[in-house]
Amino acid sequence: MHQFASYFSQKEIERVHEASLEVLENTGMYVRNERAREIFAKGGCQVDNQTTLVKFPRKVIEECRKSFVPKYKFTAQDPDFDITLPDDRPIIVTGSSAPNIIDPKTGEERRATSTDIANIAHLINELPGFDVFSISTLADDAPEGQFSLSRFYPSLKNCKKPVRSNTPNIRDLEMVLELGELIAGSKEAYMERPFINHHYCPVVSPLTFDVESTEAIIYLTEKGLPVYGTIVPNAGMTSPMTMMGTLVVGNAEFLALSTLIQLIRPGAPMIYAVLSTVADMRTGAYVPGAIETGILQMAHTEMARFYNIPSGGYIGLTNSHCNDAQSGYETGMNTMLALMGGADLFNMGGLLGSLMAFDFGKAYTDNEIAMMLKRACRGMEFSEENLCLDLIHEIGPGGSYMDKLHTVKHMRKTMYLSKLAYRLLRDQWIRDGATDTQTRALEKAIEILKQENPARFPEELDAKIRSHFPGLVPGDAIF
Amino acid sequence: MSIKDIYAAVLEFDSDQVVKLVKDEISRGTEISVILNDGLIGAMDEVGRLFSAGDLFVPEMLLAAQAMKAGLEELKPHMKQGDSRTKGTVVIGTVKGDLHDIGKNLVAMMMEGAGFEVIDLGVDVETERFIQTAQEHNADMICMSALLTTTMPEMGVTVETLKEKGLNFKTMVGGAPVTKEFADQIGADGYSPDAPSAVEMARLLISA
Ligand code: B12
Repeated sequence: MHQFASYFSQKEIERVHEASLEVLENTGMYVRNERAREIFAKGGCQVDNQTTLVKFPRKVIEECRKSFVPKYKFTAQDPDFDITLPDDRPIIVTGSSAPNIIDPKTGEERRATSTDIANIAHLINELPGFDVFSISTLADDAPEGQFSLSRFYPSLKNCKKPVRSNTPNIRDLEMVLELGELIAGSKEAYMERPFINHHYCPVVSPLTFDVESTEAIIYLTEKGLPVYGTIVPNAGMTSPMTMMGTLVVGNAEFLALSTLIQLIRPGAPMIYAVLSTVADMRTGAYVPGAIETGILQMAHTEMARFYNIPSGGYIGLTNSHCNDAQSGYETGMNTMLALMGGADLFNMGGLLGSLMAFDFGKAYTDNEIAMMLKRACRGMEFSEENLCLDLIHEIGPGGSYMDKLHTVKHMRKTMYLSKLAYRLLRDQWIRDGATDTQTRALEKAIEILKQENPARFPEELDAKIRSHFPGLVPGDAIF
Repeated sequence: MSIKDIYAAVLEFDSDQVVKLVKDEISRGTEISVILNDGLIGAMDEVGRLFSAGDLFVPEMLLAAQAMKAGLEELKPHMKQGDSRTKGTVVIGTVKGDLHDIGKNLVAMMMEGAGFEVIDLGVDVETERFIQTAQEHNADMICMSALLTTTMPEMGVTVETLKEKGLNFKTMVGGAPVTKEFADQIGADGYSPDAPSAVEMARLLISA
């Protein structure tokens, strides 16, 4: 893709940037985290420790902007799976941290467990559409004190792609890093290739930094470990009920977060991840699947391009409670808007019910959408050779391309060969069982889950980890 | 000028106008219960009907409730025992460790709109604060919201503490990951999946 779809002129983009600076300078933000207030104060912001209000002079922000870097890397246990934004765009990630799962055997929604996480990790490791595994669910069976360990251990054990997620507090975070160092062999080896990728929501819109998630961002940035934050304004609830007003709030909040990060460690890589939505004011419901989410993602991506940093994050989520047409069009349309707008990162896979439940059929279907997005991004492949002028002349008017070597040479790569879509005529479809997408998708996912997982830890390493963390969940993919 | 105008002003979310009209009616000697029931409550019943029908959206309902409340404040000093309109006093908050408040705010505002006295403690609320506030305000019920599975147990702690202290405030819980089963398990009196039904449940529990 050479050019991206755009809603704004250069002048309008500059105005949005100016407006965001105005908000930060005049209105400011509450910063509940004390260390963040210290960092802002040292960096030249006006800090009122009583009210926790911080005001950001424009020159502080503009100065920090100078150390923004254009790339962000997700490191994997297996270096072949390392992936870099924006070079490898579109980068497809699973949605994360849902409390529930649709049980693949009973179809009932229930709390997810560490074994579910192991199975999901196995599946995501196998599905080519996914580049990063953001740990899809929580583990309801986590032993006391091992909330995060019970998510990261099964994930890292069964998936060699970059693993990403959050932790509720620094104690959990440190345990997870310890796990990473054990797997890497040493602290130094881990720092060389930190394959746990951290993500937090440090901002509570409108214009407030929290305590815990902000603490994690500071901690990881100081250590030089990979971390980025998602900002989540919700028009009508936590930001204005216009697309532009919400864009400004989200953009201002992002600038404040990046100022914090750059003040700590200039040049720290970041992702412009702002998930703006519009609330459905008929009920107040949170609706990430609405088309406005895609529109806003495109607009935020234009701002990210202005700042020359990678863009994207949660986009393509659905409100649907089963993998039906709504689930497909909400994921499909919003990710397509974001892709056309130039977004690099898509946290879209596997979740239903606005991030509340994981479904294996949905994950398989999203792999399909991921492959379609990647194909769309590859685009037309302009070249003299691809114009096929000699061939067009050779076949001439009224000829056929069906039995030509040229066709054979190109047919497996010109088209993305879907394994999920049904494309034959109705009679054949009926003979094949008259299945719908979800039935086929779930079958395909289960086929993979029934196979042995080639990505597992070696026994020796596993024994070492298990003796280091007594009482650890089994973490094995079994179906 | 008549009660009808008060009714209309509530439906137009015009707090100033409601206050002015209520004052006028009082000085004209109109029965307090008539101003209350035919004017303010009647209007809110209509708002509720329009909301259920999908004609009014959440913010309109909230604005109408604010207008109604403004009128109610004017009436209060004149009300006799039997006139009391408040359906009960509710303490609400998001539990300790949890910052999600959008759903909790919706519930609080709808309860207020339905005529409850609502004391909103915000987010990250400790058990002690719930209980103390409920005692100070002689509340009928404590409502707790949680959006994280990790903070849901805090609700159980509050219910448990109430029992230990022998306090019988009603309790109601909610939030996306909270279920009826969970509410039963921790011994909460009520649960409901969304704001409108939370109001219904509150009515039921408090009148019981
Ligand atoms: C918006 C949001 C945020 C915003 C919150 C903004 C705010 N001011 O509230 C921000 C970005 C700050 C945020 C932060 C985090 N979040 Co969050 N968040 C959400 C999200 C997407 C929507 C919540 C929402 O606003 N819903 C809209 C309202 C209207 O619905 P509701 O809250 O469910 O309320 C309705 C009913 O439940 C009911 N109800 C609610 N309360 C009550 C109370 C009573 C008494 C009754 C009767 C009824 C009732 O009535 C309401 C109206 O109908 C949810 C996913 C989801 N679908 O719920 C995740 C979600 C809850 N968050 C999640 C996570 C992981 C986090 C973070 C830990 C992320 C991080 N690592 O930083 C932090 C935690 C911060 C903290 N300590 O609390 C997970 C929870 C996982 C878990 N552990 O259980 C979820 C499920 C998303 C996910 N899959 O990742 N989040």
